[in-house]
Formats: sequence, structure tokens, C-alpha cells
Amino acid sequence: MNSRPIGYFKPGDSWLHRRHPVTKLLGLVAIAITAFVLPAWALPVPALGLVVIAFSSRLGLQTLRSLRLPALLFGSILLVNAFFFPGPVERIFSFGPVGLSWAGIIFGVVSAARIAIVFVTSILFLFTTLPDDLLEALVDKGASHRLAFVVLSAIQLVPRLQGRAAAILDAQQARGLAVAGSLATRVRALVPLIGPIVLGSLIDVRERTFALEARGFGARRERTAYRVVTDPPHERWLRLAIVVALVLLLVGIAGGVVR
Amino acid sequence: MSARLEIRDLVVRYPGRREPALDGVALTLGPTDLVGVTGRTGSGKSTLALAAAGLVPRVIRANVSGSVTVDGQDAVHATAAHLAGRVGIVFSAPALQLSASKQTVREELAFGLENLAVPRADMDGRIDAAMARLGIAHLAERDPLTLSGGEQQRVAIASIVVMGTDVLVLDEPAAQLDPAGTESVAAMLAEMARDGRAVLVAEHAPQILLGTRRCLVLDGGRVIADTSPRDALHADRAAGRDLEDMPALGPSIRSVRPVAIAVRDLTHRYPGGIEAVRGVSLSAAPGETVAIVGQNGSGKTTLAKHLNGLLRPDSGQIEIDGHDIADRAVNQLAALVGFVFQNPDDQLFNNSVEKEVGFGPRNLRLDPASVSRLVDGALGMTGLAAHRATNPYDLDVSIRKLVALAGVLAMEPPVLVMDEPTMGQDPLGTRRIGAIVDAWHEVGRTVIAITHDMDFAARHFDRIVVMRGGEIILDGPPASVFAAANTALLSSTGLRPPLGDDVEIDR
Repeated sequence: MNSRPIGYFKPGDSWLHRRHPVTKLLGLVAIAITAFVLPAWALPVPALGLVVIAFSSRLGLQTLRSLRLPALLFGSILLVNAFFFPGPVERIFSFGPVGLSWAGIIFGVVSAARIAIVFVTSILFLFTTLPDDLLEALVDKGASHRLAFVVLSAIQLVPRLQGRAAAILDAQQARGLAVAGSLATRVRALVPLIGPIVLGSLIDVRERTFALEARGFGARRERTAYRVVTDPPHERWLRLAIVVALVLLLVGIAGGVVR
Repeated sequence: MSARLEIRDLVVRYPGRREPALDGVALTLGPTDLVGVTGRTGSGKSTLALAAAGLVPRVIRANVSGSVTVDGQDAVHATAAHLAGRVGIVFSAPALQLSASKQTVREELAFGLENLAVPRADMDGRIDAAMARLGIAHLAERDPLTLSGGEQQRVAIASIVVMGTDVLVLDEPAAQLDPAGTESVAAMLAEMARDGRAVLVAEHAPQILLGTRRCLVLDGGRVIADTSPRDALHADRAAGRDLEDMPALGPSIRSVRPVAIAVRDLTHRYPGGIEAVRGVSLSAAPGETVAIVGQNGSGKTTLAKHLNGLLRPDSGQIEIDGHDIADRAVNQLAALVGFVFQNPDDQLFNNSVEKEVGFGPRNLRLDPASVSRLVDGALGMTGLAAHRATNPYDLDVSIRKLVALAGVLAMEPPVLVMDEPTMGQDPLGTRRIGAIVDAWHEVGRTVIAITHDMDFAARHFDRIVVMRGGEIILDGPPASVFAAANTALLSSTGLRPPLGDDVEIDR
């Protein structure tokens, strides 16, 4: 018996879980745009908003835990900017061409914050949206079924590869390979994992091809859906509100109201 | 009556292979025909199944001459759209069948219906009927990928049956099924043929073959007999008797000594709360051979994965050689307990058979000469010496399974644990694995195997342990476990006594 999650979905019945997948997708896009157009001083607003969203959908701790994954990325953005910020800035100390500057630190923090906002928004989307519901919703909104399936497969690729990596690690340990212990041991254990994972993903593609062929996927242009994803009027109003808010924000920034 | 499936003079050559996989095969199936196909590994059974379902050369590249016609439609040159709804194919491994993207078994079964544009209102009725046929109604709301291998295979079969095609092709559908599951598939195939469908099934399982109207025996891509199921079965089993190249087991290179295993009051729960093993106690004396049997999903694999630390108990303990293994890592236990996974693809990760088999011995930090003797010995026992330089993934899945076994044998573990070792093997392969169990037993090593093959269990093991619902319900020598008095109890966990036509229960 295996155990594995489907994608990143965390089963639940919070207000965020209940939103229509397209509403959430639109919200994700709107927050991602906002994170990159907002001036630095305003970034705490979407950040606080995300904290409220995460905790009110009972996913706060899981979201925090998921931040471990990109922590290295945020750290490196901060470090690179802090030490290598270009141009004639005042340096706290210098070592040849490298120097620590306040301007660099601030730029690094702001850049990392923007990326973190997009990351957390995406994670909340994945946590609360069943890939299948997203697929049906996109098809319902006129997306090609094949295209929607590609999107779905892409979302599921990472967890599937994680599953395969775990199976390979089990098998390698069962034949005596040490994978835990010192950092050197862990790094050494990674090397024999790379080939099988590449191979594994090719096998995965082959398995998918067989499965989809056998099940008549793409055989007909028309298709019916078993899952019914309802899209009540208030979801449409919510989407309209998101679009209006985003347009107002962009106009405000372009017109210099938000600086 | 017009033919549902007509194959004429079919020759299939895979790129880079000298010999054709199929060489002049002809076959006609009308409505209500139920035809079996058997033959040794590599005889062309799978290729015939794939070609009959229109997947060669459209999905699997090959040179094809001759013709395959499904319901009047040329299947060699057809597109997916032409064949969808006309022919369905069931593979032996559920991974090749399931969408892997559905939350529940019910939705998984709906996937094929969606693709065929079946109206939503008709779906539930068809899904319920398919689940009832396969005896999986109780799994309807479970996540398919958390089911046991055999349960997944039933879902996979249902996922094709639900599509209601006129022609149904199955390639070793029962390889992972317990005896009751195999019987229910046999009954279902007979019923589908009675309903007017044409059914072509490649198998070794006697329960399936005996239910067919006639059987083709393939050898080297040619039909060497088109005969009664009984004669075909006889030919298939006879082919398994000539195990000519099985070398004797030499002296131990690692000089391992026999060790005992004890499981005390083991309970294991999976995330989501499913209790797969409940308070199981089991011991094996040094050098004893134990077969664990039971229906699909009865907790056999979960129990076995505790023996080398791949799973950890929620309560209870495992002792190997008198020591609790709770704080020992899987890789440390590998020198003591060898584990052969059910799915060989979970276990193979090197680009040649030789490297793959040498992986374990090298991790034991043995000197190169010992590694090479261990590899030679394991390749000899499994009959793989000729495939030494081959990439495991270029081999048939049943041979990959032997590669996985060789990789563990080469470590000479004092305890050998195998999960469904004979799955997908032809009678020759099964016989070879049986001979390995016997040889291992003779030199005093402990062997524990999970199996659905009751003949194999009765023939090669000292003890049979029967599991049901995560608990042990019977434990004893084959003669007493398979005694007539236990028939009802065995049947309650999907088992049947060995067929026994040429099996001596008393070793």
C-alpha cells in the first residue's frame, strides 16, 4: 500500500477551499501583479492580507512550513544584493569590488518579499484547489481540454517526482546505501538519485501515455464531465471585484496616486 | 456473424531487434468469443495484445505488416478517435492504466466515460455496475493511489470494463490478483463474452485460461498451437519443467550465519487512519521459509516492509537476530535483511544489469573480487548471465523482476524477504524462483515471501501464514493450512487451496 498526496491539495472546507478555481486563479494573478508593482512601503499590506487568508483558511502553519523550501532562494537574493549591489552606493564596509551596503540590503529584502508573496499566494492556491476541479473549471470557461490537462500534469509533476524519488531512496537504502548522516553522506546520496529520477520521469511519461491512450483521452473533440464545479453568481461578482481592484491599483500607480 | 477482431498475417518488428516480435499471426474473434493466449516470456503475447488494441505502431513504434481489423476498422493505421469505444486494453500493471490524477476510485472510473462523452446522467450506473463486477464497490470513495497493488489492478480492470467496448484485450490482468480476484475476473470475462463481446486474454493463470473457449500458444512470435485451454495449459506448464541452467548454490562468500526474525504485536496505521496491520505477532526460526498469503489489501506488504525498517511500527517491535531494530537505519539492516520489492521499477536504478546487481555488494564494502563473485553467482541463479551488459529497462518486466531479485541475492542476506516474487513470471520463471527458495533454504537462510500463488507457496515453503484484514488468521505447515477443514476460512480472505494437479502438498 502506498500513501501519497494528490498534488499539494490539503483537503478541507474553509472559505478559500470553497471558492471557484478560476476565482482563485484570478486572485493569484492579481496578487502576483500587485506584489511587483506596489512600492516597497506598501508591501506589508498584501503580506498581512496573505497571513489573514492563510490562518482564516486554517492553513497558516502549513503555509509557514512550506516556506522552508524557498528559504535558500530568499537568503541568496538577500546576500547577493547586500554584497553586490551595483552603482555608487555608500558601503558599510568594502573588500575589493565586494561590499556590504544598506541600499543592497534594502533592495534584497524588498525583492525577496515580492517573491515570497507570489510564492505564498501560489502555495495557498495549490493547497486549496483540487487539480481536477481546476481542470474542469478551465474547460468550462472555454480552455481546450488538452491544454487544461497539460496544466494539470505540470502541477502534479513535482509531487509525482517526489514520490518516485522517495521510492528510489527506499530501494537504495534497502540495498545498503547510506543516505542520512553527515552533510557529505547526504550529498553523496544525491548523486545516484539523479539518473534514476531522470529515467523515472521518462518512465512516468511512458506510463501516462499508455494510461491516457487506454482510457480514450483526446479521442473525441466533445467530452463530458463527471465532476461538476459550480460557479454561482457571487463568484462572478468576486472576480469582477478583483479585476476592478487591480485596474484601480494600476491606474493609481500610473497616475502617481500610489507612489 | 461478422468478426469483431480479425488479425491476418501480422508481422511486428521492433526497431533494433533482429527477430520479429510477431511472425505471421492470424486470429479471428467473433462476438461471444473468449480466446486465451499463452506462451513463455518473450513469446510475443504482449505485442499481440498491443497490436490487437491498435497501440502498435501508433503508440509503440514498430514495423508492421499484415492487418488488424477491429469492428471493421483498420487498427494498424487508425487514430485514437477511430478506436476509442471500440477496443479496450487492460495491462498487467495498474500504473499503465490509472490516470493518477483522481481523488477517488469512482472519479477514476469516470475518466474513461468522460473521454467517450458519455452523458453525466449515465455515468454513475455504469460505474456502479463495473465496480460490482470487480468486487470493488467498497473502494469507491478511496484514493486509488493509496490502495494495495492488487486492489489497484482491480480498479484498472474496472476502468476499462466500464467503457463497454465491443472488443476487450487483456495482457496478464491477474498477475497481481489474489485467487478470488482471479476467479472473479475469469467469471467476468465469461459474462462479457456471453453479452456479445470479443475477449482476448494473455495469461498464465489456470483459472483464467480454463475459462476460455480456445487458447493460442505462442513461441518466438508464432502461433505453435491453437488448442483447448487444457492442452494449452499443459504445454505452458510443461515448458516450465526444463530448468536446465540452474547452478548449485556455492559456499557463502560473506559467511553469513542463519538468523531468526520475531515480530511482536505489530500495529501500523497509514496517514489517513487506515490500520493496515493490527497486533500481528510472527516469528521465523533461523533458516525457516515462510509464505505470507491473503487477499489484496490484507496488510501483507505493510507487514513485510517492517522487516527491514522501510516502515516503522506505530506499536509493537521487530527483532532480528535477537535485537530490536527500532533504532537501526534501513541501510544498516540491508546486510541482514534483503528486500525484493513487488514492482521491480521501484528498485532498479543502474544502467546495466551487472551494475545493478553489484550495487548492494558494493555498499557492503566488500573487496572487488568478492563483489564480482557475488554478482556472477546471482546472475547464474537467476539465469541472467546473458543480459549482463543490458540496460534493465530494455528487458521485459518479468525479467526486470529477476534482475531486482538478483540484486538482492548478490548481497547474500541471511534473511530474504520477497514481495510477490512470481508476479508476471511464466511457469519457467516461477520454477526458477522456487528453486532459488529451495537452494536458499538448504544453506540455512531464512526466506519470507508474500505470494498469491498457492501452488508456489505449498511447494516451496515450510510454513504458510494467512492474513485477513491486517491480522493473522492461520499459521502452519502447508498441509494443515490448506487442509479441507480450512477451505471456508481461506475463502474468507480470497484464497483457494492449491490447484494441486501436479503439486505435492507434503514436501
